[in-house]
Amino acid sequence: MDWHILAQQLVNGLTLGSIYGLIAIGYTMVYGIIGMINFAHGDVYMLSAYVTAISLATLFSFGLDSLPFALLVTLVMTMVITAAYGWTIERIAYRPLRGSTRLAPLISAIGVSLVLQNGVQLSQGARTQGVPSLIPTTLRFGEGDDFVQITLVQVMIIVVSLSSMAALTWLIQRTSLGRQCRATQQDRRMAAILGINTDRIISSVFIIGAAMAAIAGVLVTLNYGSFDFYIGFVTGIKAFTAAVLGGIGSLPGAMLGGLILGLAEALFSGMVNTDYKDVFAFSLLVLVLIFRPTGLLGKPEVEKV
Amino acid sequence: MDLPSFPRGLLAMVLAGGLSLSGLASAAETIKIGVAGPMTGGNAAFGEQFWNGASQAAAAINAAGGINGKQIELVKGDDACEPKQAVAVANRLLDQDKVAAVIGHFCSSSTIPASEVYADAGVLVITPGSTNPKVTERGLPTVFRMCGRDDQQGPMAADFIVKKLKAKKIAVVHDKDTYGQGIADAMRARLKELKADKKEVLYEGLTRGEKDFNPLVTKIKGTGADEVYFGGLYNEAGPLLRQMRDQGVKATFVSGDGSLDPAIVAAAGGPKFIEGSYMTSVREARNIPAAKKVVAKFKAAGIDPAGYTLYAYASLQSIADAMKATKSTDGKKLADWLKSHTVTTVLGPKNWDAKGDLKESGFSIYVWDANGNYKEIAL
Amino acid sequence: MPPIAAAVSTTGVRWNLVFRQAVLEATAAFALALLLLGPIVGLVLDGYQVRNELQRPLLIAAIIAAGRFLVTLAMHTPTGQTALERFNARRRQPGVLVVSASESDRQRWWLLAIVVVSLTLPLLASKYWLTVLIQAMIYVLLGLGLNIVVGLAGLLDLGYVAFYAVGAYGLALGAQYLDLGFWSALPLAAMLAALFGGVLGFPVLRMHGDYLAIVTLGFGEIIRLVLNNWLEFTGGPNGVSAPAPQLFGLEFTRTAKDGGVPFHEYFQISYDPLHRFIFIYLVLFLIVCLMVVVVTRLRNMPVGRAWEALREDEIACRALGINHVLVKLSAFMMGATVGGIAGVFFATYQGFINPTSFNFFESALIVAIVVLGGLGSTTGVIVAALVLTILPELLRAFADYRVFAFGVLMVLMMIWRPRGLIRPRRRAFEVKGLCR
Repeated sequence: MDWHILAQQLVNGLTLGSIYGLIAIGYTMVYGIIGMINFAHGDVYMLSAYVTAISLATLFSFGLDSLPFALLVTLVMTMVITAAYGWTIERIAYRPLRGSTRLAPLISAIGVSLVLQNGVQLSQGARTQGVPSLIPTTLRFGEGDDFVQITLVQVMIIVVSLSSMAALTWLIQRTSLGRQCRATQQDRRMAAILGINTDRIISSVFIIGAAMAAIAGVLVTLNYGSFDFYIGFVTGIKAFTAAVLGGIGSLPGAMLGGLILGLAEALFSGMVNTDYKDVFAFSLLVLVLIFRPTGLLGKPEVEKV
Repeated sequence: MDLPSFPRGLLAMVLAGGLSLSGLASAAETIKIGVAGPMTGGNAAFGEQFWNGASQAAAAINAAGGINGKQIELVKGDDACEPKQAVAVANRLLDQDKVAAVIGHFCSSSTIPASEVYADAGVLVITPGSTNPKVTERGLPTVFRMCGRDDQQGPMAADFIVKKLKAKKIAVVHDKDTYGQGIADAMRARLKELKADKKEVLYEGLTRGEKDFNPLVTKIKGTGADEVYFGGLYNEAGPLLRQMRDQGVKATFVSGDGSLDPAIVAAAGGPKFIEGSYMTSVREARNIPAAKKVVAKFKAAGIDPAGYTLYAYASLQSIADAMKATKSTDGKKLADWLKSHTVTTVLGPKNWDAKGDLKESGFSIYVWDANGNYKEIAL
Repeated sequence: MPPIAAAVSTTGVRWNLVFRQAVLEATAAFALALLLLGPIVGLVLDGYQVRNELQRPLLIAAIIAAGRFLVTLAMHTPTGQTALERFNARRRQPGVLVVSASESDRQRWWLLAIVVVSLTLPLLASKYWLTVLIQAMIYVLLGLGLNIVVGLAGLLDLGYVAFYAVGAYGLALGAQYLDLGFWSALPLAAMLAALFGGVLGFPVLRMHGDYLAIVTLGFGEIIRLVLNNWLEFTGGPNGVSAPAPQLFGLEFTRTAKDGGVPFHEYFQISYDPLHRFIFIYLVLFLIVCLMVVVVTRLRNMPVGRAWEALREDEIACRALGINHVLVKLSAFMMGATVGGIAGVFFATYQGFINPTSFNFFESALIVAIVVLGGLGSTTGVIVAALVLTILPELLRAFADYRVFAFGVLMVLMMIWRPRGLIRPRRRAFEVKGLCR
């Protein structure tokens, strides 16, 4: 394989992987704190793509022509609305189930996922929607036929997701909220006894996860330009796979898992076959879990008697 | 609170209740016709087109006095493009709703099992969109289609790519679905006949529902292909094209009727990405003179008659004509009539062969311009 | 709602406080609904522009606020209070209902009634309802199978549809390549599914709960993708046809296909496509009955008790010398076998299968059946399977709102009965003849 093809595939893998990583954060944090697989998270990401397009279109229709400002407003809007969805879903569909069987919220999440998908389909229509390409700049390295061409948005995806990860790590490691999160994750009952409002912490985890998905949604919408009400499903499953691969419950694990999955998909498609790239991704997951049953960065589970 | 459209749902329930009551009362005066397709799920856009087309046609026919003095009543059937639901909905349309004929099923994988059910009951079914050869190849007498077959438009694209575009290296991509892979394989078969199969440098499938095809695009770039043939729908064609251009792949893009949809402009993120792409399709319905008036009516109702809308319209017209002529709703009689007569539809005159395929599918090739419009090219 | 407690005194309700709170809550609900629905429901994307439909979210938000207001008020009436208490009390019930060993078994009469009704139903039902019933029965079978894995052994399997696919493709491909009929394919496909269960189960069973879930999910997807991509062998997305069952060589077709005698000609009755479905239904019903007996028996046998013990406390079981891998593997293979049988019936009833029928949503639906059924309760699984398959058909009256309503009902059902519709029953163990 020529160097420029390899370099191009690495960039492809990194962009895809960063997106998986951002969405995987929502899965991994929720799992870490209440031990449930939030199957509706992929659809929260789908919602954020719609909010992005709606917000951009509304801003432009008011005659706004400063692109950076429009993007900033859209990002904030999308994060706020998507976070509100995260909070509401937890409040309505998961909190009443707390303390019942472990599987009850899973089924409820599947129900929420159906509601979100079909709610969006009913109100926005079923056809593929899009945003115009706003940042058409492409960067080209190399000459003649041997070149690597990447879009500015792809660079933005990598930079923004890495910096969001860094910010989130700081939030979890250094702030009071982060400490409360970690305490709740380790032992919810003990944290409650020590005066932590665990319900509020769980809510904020849902809000953070949704906000991260919103960042992913904005970036993806800018990069690929098109989306429909069904995108949450495929991406959601992949992101969840990434979260498990990296070790569910671990923040750096989510990002690492995302990047590995993205790179694996890109390189496998490039070198072997696109048809079987998903088969490869899932087989990789199975293999990793056979040798490291708690994922790459997951803490080994302590078996309590 | 996350119940976006609940009041409308309530309204729909009340309406549905009312309809079913009134349906009982007036069962004798109406002719029920089923419209089956993916009304929910990932392909719901096509189901919407079926429904829009059929309901406009029904309104027009009813306004002109209906069929033999009876009004048409349409019944919606949702199969979500799942074979399992397709069989259930077929049985429901026959048993509960007692439909006299069916327009439907979009995905070939739904049409194939569902048409067995209709044929078993001797009910006429016309599919406006299932292009898989298998649909009419099983010898079911009451199954018709309003569209071409994959093994007709694929070869046409192959001829075009080899003879007109003088391709040197051809990359073939499909979406691993009945339609997409079928048309791509038909294209490859013709390449072989033209002794051009050596020019094929890539044959791979992408996954429907995904938006990131960058790795595949890089691979195409690595092969140095100058033509990319895509068998699939516009939902994937749009992002694929955009990512090709974003990575600096200049290969000409050729695809089938599944991609020839104005929505591809939005799916790609702007007309500049699809400019210069070629797509095969049946004669563009909206430009057929007979369709002008109908299209104007659709526009007045706020509907863009895109994709399969007018095919569904024409399907209902054919059913209505056959019923008027035979004064019957018996599937066998209707089928015999359709196979021996020419029907004037919104898509022009149509006639069918013994299998239920259109005698003249009339495929042509379209090219996209810089403003996001497409026009037929002379061959 | 803690602040309410203060508003409720022993003598009565201080309505002015309650009223104020209701207004506040309604306002909050209104604002939140507007934030959530405003853009998504109110501004409809149309090309690169938006169309203003803001009256829709306003209307919905107003209805939600009014609902919230009324609910808060209703909560403070005596009836509301008792209803709330009853609702909460039911949710606090333990998972398993323990029945005394001496309680007489009235279930027997119920069973008889159910069997009689089930056997007469196909004669009365229309073809549409018959096909719905067959589908429901297939899901009962799937539910029973997965219940062994998830409900009894406590292994969360999100890729159960893989075994279903193996069974279905076993019949279809067996007929295509090996010329197998329905009856010879049935045991073979079941064994094939069991083999797949064993091959998958062995390496992954040492994983813990949710890691197992995602690995099985991955396995389900792998099977589906391979079926879809391996065009030469499986027909890929074009699918394959599956043969219809025969009754001692009699075919259920209008005209005999390969030299056989059609059922209706043999008995000299007129042809009716219904016969085939009635036949499938009856065979399926027998298999379901057999499965119910087998599962009930298994639960009382050492291996069944080991499954449940392992679900409750794996470490204790291992300490007591139970081979946890073998026990889990037996549950996995048992479940896979049942899934394979269900797949064969699905294929023969459909007559045509392709990979779209075996996606992740199908697995999720089967898990939902087991959870809604009450994790371990056989009766519950049957009831839940019937509810979850017949409900979407009933909801067809909602037209486009069908799946939406199904999702809402799924959430509501879980909130209403988080432990499932029917609690698993367990007979109390009574020591006899010890301390005389």
